Amino acid sequence: MSLLDAAIAANRFGLGARPGELRAIAGDPRGWLKAQIAPETAPPAPLAALPSTEAATGAFNRWLASIGLTPASASGLYDKRGGVAAMGGGAAMGAPGLPPGVSIEQSFARTLGPGYAQAVAARMDVAVSTERPYFERLVRFWGNHFTLSASKPNAFPIAGIFERDVVRPRCTGHFRDMLLASCKHPGMLIYLDNYISVGPNSVIARNPALLPPYLREILKGLNENLGREILELHTLGVRSGYTQADVTSLARIITGWMVRQREGPERMAGGGGDDASSMFIFRSAAHEPGAQTLLGRTYPQAGLAQGEAALGDLARHPATAHFIAGKLVRHFVADEPPPAAVERIAAVFRDTEGDLGAVATALVDLPEAWAPDQRKFKPPEDYITSALRAMGGRVPLTGPQLIALLGRMGQRPFYAPGPDGWADISGEWISPDAVWKRVEWADALAKGVADAKIAPALIAQEALGPTLTPATLHAITLAESPAQGLALFLTAPEFQRR
Amino acid sequence: MSASDFSRRGVLAAGLAATAAPRFAFASVPTDKRLVIVLLRGAMDGLSAVPAFGDRDYQAARNGIGTPPPGAGADAALDLNGFFGLSPALRGLHGRYARGELVVLHAIASPYRDRSHFDGQNLLENGSATPFGLADGWANRSLAALPEATRSGRKDLGIAIAPSMPLMMRGAAPVTSWSPSVLPAPSADLVARIRSMYEAGDPALARALVAAAEANGAAGPSARGDDAFAALMGAAARFMTSPDGPCLAMVESTGWDTHANQLGAFGVLSRNLAALDRGIDALAAGLGDRWRDTAVLVVTEFGRTVAMNGTRGTDHGTAGAAFLVGGAVKGGRVIADWPGLKPGDLHAGRDLKPTADLRSVMKAALVEHMGADPGLIERVVFPDSRAAPVLSGLFRG
Repeated sequence: MSLLDAAIAANRFGLGARPGELRAIAGDPRGWLKAQIAPETAPPAPLAALPSTEAATGAFNRWLASIGLTPASASGLYDKRGGVAAMGGGAAMGAPGLPPGVSIEQSFARTLGPGYAQAVAARMDVAVSTERPYFERLVRFWGNHFTLSASKPNAFPIAGIFERDVVRPRCTGHFRDMLLASCKHPGMLIYLDNYISVGPNSVIARNPALLPPYLREILKGLNENLGREILELHTLGVRSGYTQADVTSLARIITGWMVRQREGPERMAGGGGDDASSMFIFRSAAHEPGAQTLLGRTYPQAGLAQGEAALGDLARHPATAHFIAGKLVRHFVADEPPPAAVERIAAVFRDTEGDLGAVATALVDLPEAWAPDQRKFKPPEDYITSALRAMGGRVPLTGPQLIALLGRMGQRPFYAPGPDGWADISGEWISPDAVWKRVEWADALAKGVADAKIAPALIAQEALGPTLTPATLHAITLAESPAQGLALFLTAPEFQRR
Repeated sequence: MSASDFSRRGVLAAGLAATAAPRFAFASVPTDKRLVIVLLRGAMDGLSAVPAFGDRDYQAARNGIGTPPPGAGADAALDLNGFFGLSPALRGLHGRYARGELVVLHAIASPYRDRSHFDGQNLLENGSATPFGLADGWANRSLAALPEATRSGRKDLGIAIAPSMPLMMRGAAPVTSWSPSVLPAPSADLVARIRSMYEAGDPALARALVAAAEANGAAGPSARGDDAFAALMGAAARFMTSPDGPCLAMVESTGWDTHANQLGAFGVLSRNLAALDRGIDALAAGLGDRWRDTAVLVVTEFGRTVAMNGTRGTDHGTAGAAFLVGGAVKGGRVIADWPGLKPGDLHAGRDLKPTADLRSVMKAALVEHMGADPGLIERVVFPDSRAAPVLSGLFRG
């Protein structure tokens, strides 16, 4: 029975304790965490209610068509920049189908914004109410590892769905499966441009007349973006010894990994498959023919098998094990990951060929993870989640409210600034402005919910257990009002760190 | 500003003094000079921002879809000197060139020679010659080398206009940060209580809170709407013109990683460049008379491929362009040791070859514009930068 370990389990591995949770798990905090390392039978209801990838992509294409644009004429929309409002950057972008006085950004936001807000709200609902917060942390970690940022308009409708469909079912399974699922998902193929990457000696490149004119403009050659980020961000990690030639090689290997669209103007050339459940299609006409060499190994396979073999080898590469172990230990233990802990996790990853369930278990078994000093600072999303959990779910925030709030705090949901995802060290989040935004929000939240019946000291004790310091408890007790006491709890160092 | 902040700065200055030459002395007169560093994250395509239309290989090197020469329609380059031009999205900068306020630098790069954004930005921000070579930022380290650093009671010398502290501005010198807000300000009483809670147990949060409270007093109303970058530059101007305001500001702009569809008036890159142009106008307008004493350095982590890729974009490259603009700049010049665009001229067969080092310009801005101690700049701010001597004569002085 350890309330201290319970507080560490709930805060460091989880999303913050709900009232009563620390006592409920104090008997076996480690067992409570390990019991969460299992796939779910189906996504929670709010996430299940989100549309399929195909439906969401169809909505984007219908919106494009409704304002009189085709993917080729809308090329200026294909942007990785932050925010719907940034799409036009203030420049007047003409779209013949726009009603007078409506900008393209407004039209985009009105048509597709509600779907985004629904995904944001669903994710927060699940995180606030879940009894498996460690599982949700793993989802967030792997969602960030395989970042698909909604900052690119044609990826925007898919971001929340990608996490549900690619990450959730596999984050306690095998790494190779998640890597392959990511590389075959329309969202990732669109976000990192592979859906328009064509082998220089492919059938399409040699016979452009086979294509309709607008596709001739789009499908012109190789794009290295996904190939590079697979090596740099998804598997081996930067500075692990691969070369520019390896980047180009992998980009060639995965040419033809494209997106099949059944409706809308973005329908790609060539016939589609019959599998309505998947928009992934391997187009041999776009695939670079011949053997390729990657990291000194030759891949003679034809077609899709070449990429599957190469990704399989990358998934079990020792550099991948070390890179991912380092990220996981940094995430759950300390900004400066202890090398011994990284090596233990890397060994489990190598020995199990990337069994992420075994890796998640090994993280719980790290002695370094149970040191009482708090070495991590919650990023805004986890901070808000833990505050709402501490309030017992009594503060409902709508999708648009969450988007505005987290945007001000520097972490607009699904909007990581680049494919490397959100930063995972305290220095990135403890800035004067970020700290101030938390004070402002804590104050506004507390004023909104506090009445005579609220007991901030009790809320703080329920959330933090023995990690609540006497000094903070004293400050809360001396507050001039329950609202001020609540704001002091929400801004307390031990609540912002974990 | 608390007493502990004063003494901390005193200790820092003393520590640096010990590492300097024996007869080291800061200039004693506070400067009115201002430096704004704009970091374009994602790697700006220098050959689109500053097309070398006069190079007979330019169009071929860009697969025939490079920026047309001046006079060839709405998408054509704006002429600078008959050889180089500016993107048509940079009308404001074009005017500043004519007025002698803009130096364009080309074929310039940091010492980074690989193609990772994240490593490239890390190197550019940490100021060493390798990614992760130093754990803090050169702009932060430079603050202790400024004449202003010795004036007691001086508030934070640096500010980052960003919701989180960028590496370039992180380090031992106290700096602040700011970004637009919409919630009502918390009461002074609540802030005081939170501050004493932090000062008792969490110095990092205490420092951040105190700096934020001060910044919010100085920010003034923020412009909102879709011209976000201009609003950030306008805010930087308000901070820098407030009494005892910061003399060095860093402003970030993201979204320059134009792998696809960067071309044309509505392309990603043109819109980014237009926003940059408006941002510099907003800064100049906000600074008013102080613009005369200001230099703005616009840098990016690396350039992009010389050839356009198969998706009408460009991939990660090496050398590119940079801008130095402001009333204090001796402008109206393009500075480039042009390496050429023939296949044999290119770095690694694909990129514009670097013939100048960004650190030469950064060092010049600190030493010859801001009056920083040159010894400290060499030893502490940009160690291992002997290969990049100060590029002299960029400022009116």
